[in-house]
Amino acid sequence: MRRNKVKTMIAKLALAAAVISGGLQAASAETANIWVRADGSNFMPRIVDAFNKAHKDQIKLDIIPNAEIIPKYGAAAAGGTAPDALSLDLIYTPSFAAAGQLEDITDWAKSLPYFASLSPAHVKTGTYKDRIYGLPFSADASVLIWNKKLFKQAGLDPEKGPTNWAEIEADAEKVNALGGDIKGFYFSGNCGGCNIFTFTPLIWASGGDILSEDGSKATLDSPQLRGAIDLYRSMVKKGLVPEGAQTDTGSNFFAAFAAGNIGISPSGAFAIGALNTQYPNVDYGITFLPGKDGGWSSFAGGDNFVVTKGTKKIEVVKEFLDFAYSLEGQTILAKYGSLPVRNDIAKEALKDLDPRYQVAAEAMAKGKTPYSVVFNDLINSANGPWTQMINEVFFGDDVDGAIKNAQDTMQSIIDQAPNK
Amino acid sequence: MASIAIAPARARARTSLRQWVGLLYVLPAVALVTVFFVIPLGMTAWMSLHNWPLMGEHSFIGLDNYVAILRDTRFWNALKFTFYYTVVVTIAIFAVAFPLAIFIERPRPLTNLYRTAFFMPAVVGFASASLLWSWLLNVDSGLFSPAAYDLGLTEKKINLLATFQPAFWSIIAMVVWKVAGFTMIILMTGLQSIPQDLQEAAVIDGAGPFARFRMITLPLMRRTLALALILSVAGSILAFDQFYIILRGGPRNQTLTAVYWIFNQSFVSFKLGYGAALSMVLLVILVALSLIQLWLLRKPAGLDD
Repeated sequence: MRRNKVKTMIAKLALAAAVISGGLQAASAETANIWVRADGSNFMPRIVDAFNKAHKDQIKLDIIPNAEIIPKYGAAAAGGTAPDALSLDLIYTPSFAAAGQLEDITDWAKSLPYFASLSPAHVKTGTYKDRIYGLPFSADASVLIWNKKLFKQAGLDPEKGPTNWAEIEADAEKVNALGGDIKGFYFSGNCGGCNIFTFTPLIWASGGDILSEDGSKATLDSPQLRGAIDLYRSMVKKGLVPEGAQTDTGSNFFAAFAAGNIGISPSGAFAIGALNTQYPNVDYGITFLPGKDGGWSSFAGGDNFVVTKGTKKIEVVKEFLDFAYSLEGQTILAKYGSLPVRNDIAKEALKDLDPRYQVAAEAMAKGKTPYSVVFNDLINSANGPWTQMINEVFFGDDVDGAIKNAQDTMQSIIDQAPNK
Repeated sequence: MASIAIAPARARARTSLRQWVGLLYVLPAVALVTVFFVIPLGMTAWMSLHNWPLMGEHSFIGLDNYVAILRDTRFWNALKFTFYYTVVVTIAIFAVAFPLAIFIERPRPLTNLYRTAFFMPAVVGFASASLLWSWLLNVDSGLFSPAAYDLGLTEKKINLLATFQPAFWSIIAMVVWKVAGFTMIILMTGLQSIPQDLQEAAVIDGAGPFARFRMITLPLMRRTLALALILSVAGSILAFDQFYIILRGGPRNQTLTAVYWIFNQSFVSFKLGYGAALSMVLLVILVALSLIQLWLLRKPAGLDD
């Protein structure tokens, strides 16, 4: 009896020792905190889980609503509680870097053997004054999607999407003629972010641009912009676009097409995953956003991975990023809604997935991203000059006045920017 | 002599003790006001003197932010729109709330039901109410436009939020629906505090209903009116939720309010210092307006109530 007690005691002590030593071991491994915007809430937890299972160092992930991640990060940084790193909408990288908020990771980035095959659009926006502050993490490219079932009903070839502007309008008109709730074309007419993503590629593919290469000049006064506007205006005038488009601030950007009664809509690669999982009944095709007379372009969007200046966990962060760039990491990303960001293994990461991803991956590889430290003010703000202009030129009466007004306002915002 | 000198001293000691106890009682309130009002206000004033970005270093720039405000035409336009909205919505609220208050003041069958029904929307938060109306006003999946179209009132579904006039009046309707019940309750308490015998005396003197309303009801409700008016004006000048959620400041930035502009400067353009300066300007304007209203509705000399 007594011996038994001693035995149990010894066993308990041993257990305690094991727990303590185990605890110590765990403490020697580091945990880094990472934030991601809600857009990444599908793939990010999966890749963090996979990393945590395979590594001693751990990642603690916080998912922040899209609209709040910037102010929240700013407040946290001011209070000294910023995460060690975050997955940041790539267009914000220049302004974050300009604010002196980010760790310079140039040397590490350049030491990566696959650095040259990382998404060029991401690396370009991740670079500020020739130093690298952000590296690609997740990717999304804009594409054109069409509804194959409606194309068939309208007597069009369901396997062939439009390849220039005239075809977009003609196809939309045919689908629209089906009548009832069916409409030819959809876009979010009051959403700056949606239209920089899906409307500017039409301009780029035709040889125009809205900002100069370094973001120092607004270049709205171009025949290509005017032409693309005329395409949209004409479709609106012919009634090919639902009434709600005029006031859609982005909430219907994806949902309108997913409902199954829109013929053609500019969208993003994210739609492939979202349609396949949430709307399996919609039969759709994916093609490039064309130029006026053919050719194509795409907005290379997504997130850059940035490191908070002065973090002590930088080694963990690097370990995590390295894992994300592995074939395993890239495959997880692709499977759960992001395009791969390493072009050298993109094909392999996508090989078991929906073949329509290949179109999007190609769009991503040659995609383009405007560069500006005041991108939010110029483009994304619901009250900025870009958003105001697109709404006026698509639906209003004074196209030239609206363009001129936007050109002047954008230029003055660029000129007043604190860190040019 | 000596005893006379001592008595007031004792009294003084008693008074000062009472004052200390009194201070003890108000201390929690003072602490709350200090922590949640005075310190943030001081902080705002301090930030307004800096170039204070959301991220990165801030630097002292004196009154530069205030000088910039003078040239910020979009802020003044937003303020102009805010005043226009305030005037329209306040008139609309009173136009609805006053008749309602008169209607529910006296007990009659189902009064409690009416009171509750009219007051109900006031307990909904502004943000939730805005989301609700955002759906009601949606042209494709909402209520108003599809209903009008299905009833054959309009030839096609009309997008109420696409142009200024229908969008603006939709907001007014939503705010009146939401706020009139609250104003009604305030006005009702004012109506009930008027002694019945005054009305009766006036009836005996031969005053008609309109004269009684103008000469007795309105003057005796001055304080209640002042309260309801100041609440309505202050609330309207600080309007933000409904314009942000339903209209996003649109169509084409025609419904940007002052607070909306402050929000944009602070959290879209990341200029916290400038946003703080704008807030200080708005605070001064609001205090001035409230003083003017109190002065207008002050008690005229010689009137006793």
